[in-house]
This record gives sequence, structure tokens and C-alpha cells, in this order.
Amino acid sequence: MTPAQPLLACRAVEWQTGGRRILGPLDLELTAGETLAVIGPNGAGKTTLLRLVAGLLEPTAGEVRLRGEPYPSIPRRRLAHHVAYVPQIRPARVPLSVEEVVLQGRFPHLSRWRLAPSEADFAAVREALAVVGIADLRHRRLDELSGGERQAAYVAAALAQEGELLILDEPTTHLDPRHQRGLSELLLRLGRRRRHGVLAATHDLHLASRVADRVLALRDGRILALGSTEEVLRPGVLEDLFDTPFRLLAEGRRQVPVLELEP
Amino acid sequence: MSRESRGLGILPWLVAGWLAALLLAPLVGSHSLDPTAVFGGDATTATIFWQLRLPRVLLALLAGGALSVAGLSYQTLFRNDLAEPYTLGVAVGAALGAVLAIRFGLQEVLGLPAVGAASFVGALAASSVVYGLAHRRRGGGGSTLLLAGIAVSLSATAVILFVQYSSDSTQTYRMVRWTMGGLAVVGYREVLWLLPWVVAGCGLLVTLRRELNLLLTGEELAASRGVDLGRLQRWVLGGASAMVGALVAVAGPIGFVGLMVPHILRRWVGHDHLRLIPACWLAGGAFLVVCDTAARLVLAPAELPVGIVTALLGGPFFLWLIFTDRGR
Repeated sequence: MTPAQPLLACRAVEWQTGGRRILGPLDLELTAGETLAVIGPNGAGKTTLLRLVAGLLEPTAGEVRLRGEPYPSIPRRRLAHHVAYVPQIRPARVPLSVEEVVLQGRFPHLSRWRLAPSEADFAAVREALAVVGIADLRHRRLDELSGGERQAAYVAAALAQEGELLILDEPTTHLDPRHQRGLSELLLRLGRRRRHGVLAATHDLHLASRVADRVLALRDGRILALGSTEEVLRPGVLEDLFDTPFRLLAEGRRQVPVLELEP
Repeated sequence: MSRESRGLGILPWLVAGWLAALLLAPLVGSHSLDPTAVFGGDATTATIFWQLRLPRVLLALLAGGALSVAGLSYQTLFRNDLAEPYTLGVAVGAALGAVLAIRFGLQEVLGLPAVGAASFVGALAASSVVYGLAHRRRGGGGSTLLLAGIAVSLSATAVILFVQYSSDSTQTYRMVRWTMGGLAVVGYREVLWLLPWVVAGCGLLVTLRRELNLLLTGEELAASRGVDLGRLQRWVLGGASAMVGALVAVAGPIGFVGLMVPHILRRWVGHDHLRLIPACWLAGGAFLVVCDTAARLVLAPAELPVGIVTALLGGPFFLWLIFTDRGR
């Protein structure tokens, strides 16, 4: 794996099920330190793309590479050293404390023959909790927390995994404005550290315009547009993408797309 | 750290309860034994203690522990509170093997009683079929496996009823008696046969404790953290089913232990399998010894099959599960 290779590369990736093509063929590259937002209507294939890149689905054609190495030749445990995933759908009841959930992110680093995690593992957990800003919740049971706090715990677990590629599926869904803001700040901070490549599927165009370096617009499993936030988050592209009118709202020096609710 | 401290408090009590079951249960029965007589040279008392009761208690400790640990592993693997050797078809597969051996009058296979050997094979065959069925559907998750288990159970039960119907009354009596499960007529041979299976099965499951813990946050996250789900399912299902098969071969199917013990223990010990597995093993063993002692006392000098006692407790326990918030 040479540094010259992009962190992530999808080449002619396709995924089919039941004779229907859900995604692709699709080409995509992500460099380390880059944040890419994936937008598109429901059923466009966003989650499928994320699961392919997380190694949870095998493409039916094409290939996904991590720093030049094709996924099938990377054992699952080693892939988990590099790629961390925060799915949108998770079990409703998880009988663990926040710290236990975050410690689970350390699994790929733990030895089967050691009974307890090492000091380095606990240090990574502490750092992840601090970065996400939920250190004070670490002994609380996940079941007792709000949706936003749970989301934060899963993001912390993914950070504790210490991969270079972070995959987030709808990270702001179910979050109230305060937690949306918290998550957006977190993504900006991660982006500034330039350590992670981030791939986030979202319906939150405001979030995408604020934290993403580039935006990928997916429709019916194909790339409708891929480019800088200014290029993609324009009313013209968004109207083609979602079949509904948008306009731009000035926010400081930037323009933010908003949904046109009144005709 | 809560993870480190929680549940440690109860482990010494479980060890104490386990030792108490081991030492006290052999003294109790239709004939109470005086401990001083056991060690004091009374030949009859010593024979009852060492040759009749102690092996039976040892077998109950092993069997109860194995059933509880297997039930715990199935529940975590399938993320379903109702998974246990019974609901997954493993015990019914064993029963089918035994019933066929009785029907065809087999006596011995490779030096083992044929009924035991056939039930062992039946348990492994049932779990292989369940696993195979679930995997014919792509990405078969926990619920698919559980449904496959129920399907195998129903089919095997139908075959058992057919075989019973087509057998003579002596055979039918033996079949019915066997499917009640019991620890009577047991010697050290059965204990020694079961021991390596239980040690290997529980040892394997302890090495998989972190993978089992990861399943608590879902299969998707577990896989993204590096767990090979297919391999984990094969190891857990194979390890636990071999252990259950071995014990059903000597004791017949004993239901509900694998359901009740893990549920109660989770409340006390938490959900870390590093603690839960030994805790379930200790508590399950002691629990089955208590049930078996009750089975020996209720109709003394006659005795009840222990499977009836555990089933009597299992019904109300199911209701308790339904009417409390234990459903996931």
C-alpha cells in the first residue's frame, strides 16, 4: 500500500439483487483527509454504496480498493483497522454502557488471548469520547440516552477503531438542531485534522454544504453529479436530483441550498 | 470502571453455591446420609454416596452448566431471547436419533449405548440442517436461523410421533421415558464421556467472548469491526451443539435450563460474556442439581425425570418473560 494511491477507489462497481441493478457502474476516489457527502433521493443507492465501501457487501461487478489493495484480498479484521462504519439502523436495545460500546471499536486491535483490553485501548476510548464530547456519559447505559447521544457514542466507537476511512450513514437523522450542530462541528474538526477520509450519506444539504469538500449526487444508482460543493449543491442539479424546486440562501459569504416549499 | 467491577460481586457466591450443590446434594435423597458415616467407614453409606449419588450430581453439574452456556450462546448469536437447545431443533434432533435407535432395536455403536450415540448424531445433524437451511438464503441472519430451527423442530417432532405410533407399546414406553430426560442410572463412565465435550465447548465459547459481545450492537456493526459472521456462526453453533448433543446422549433432552439461567444471570452479571459464560456454567450446574434433588425427593422412594421438573418451572418462566420487559 503506497501513499501515492488514493485512500479509496471504486472501479466500475456494481451491485445487483434479484436481477435488478441497485448501484453502478460507478467510479469514485477519495483521498485521505477529504470529506465526501453522498446525497440523493430515497432508494438512490446511498446506503448500498456505503456498505460496499465498508466491505459489508461484495460488488457483483467491479472492485473496491483501499490504498490500491482490492478488498477481497484484505482479511476482515485487517480491513477493520482501516475502515470504520456507523450504520443508520442499529438494534433498538443495547444493554451496554457508552464506554463498553466505544470499547467495542477497539475489537480489531485486541488479542484473543488477553482477557482485558490494554492501556492503549482505554486511552483510545478516552480520546474518542473526548473528541465527540461525551466523556461525562461514559458510564451511562446506552438505552437511557437520547438519540443524539447514542449517535455520538457510535461515532466515538468508530473513531476509537482508529481507521483512516470513516463511513457515516445519515449521521444527522433523528437529531435535534443542537445535536445536528454538534455533529457538524465534529465533522469539521475531523476534516481539519486531515487524518480521516470521511464518506457520509445524508439528506441534510446544509450539513453537506458546510462540512464536505466534495459532493456525490446519486440517482437510481448512477452518478448524476460529482464535484465541489458549489458545483453540485446548485438549484439546477438538485432539482434534477430530487424532482423538486430549490433556491439558494446566502449564509455569510456562502450560498446554502434550501427546499422551495411555497410555489 | 463499571465494566470491570460489575458482576464480580456475584461470582464468589456462584462458586459457593456450586460447591454447596456438589457437597450437599449427594447427602439428600430418599435415604439421608450422615457425612460422618460417608467418611467414617460405613460401607453401605459410602457406596450410596460415591457410587450412586456423587456421579449423578457431577453429571447434573456438567449438564446444567453446558445447557446454560449453550442457551446463552444461542441467544446472543441469534439475538433472540427464546433461543435455546430446544427451540433451535438441536434437542429435538437428538430425540429423533434416540427414538429411531429404540425403534430399530439398536444396542451398541462403537462401544456406546446406541440410543446415546444416535441422539448425539441427531443433535449434530439437526444443527447442520438448520445452519444449511439458513444459509441457502443469502445473508441469513439470526432470525432466519431461528426460523429454520423451528421448522426443523416441527418436522422432527412429526417424524418422532410417526415412529412412536408405528412402534409396539414397550418401545413407545422407552421412547416416551427417554424424551422426558433424566439423570438416573448414571455412573462415572457418563461423567467422563461428557467432561471433555463440556470443557472444549465452553473453552471455545470463552475464546469467542468478544465476538459474542459485539453481536449485542448488531451484526452489521460486528462485521464492520472485523468479525467474520459466517465463521462465528459455524463455531458457536458447532461448539454449543456438540456439547448439547453429548449431554443429550447421556441424559436425554432437558428443557428450559438453557432458557432460564442465562436470563436471570444477565440481570446480575451484566452482558459481558467473559463473566456471563462462567457465571452461567456455575449457576446452571447448581440449578440442575437442585431440580434433580427435587425430582428425587418429590415421590421418594420413586423419582421423577428431572426434565419434568425443569419443564414445570419453564412454563411460568415463559409467562414472566412475556409480562416483564425482557423481550428485545
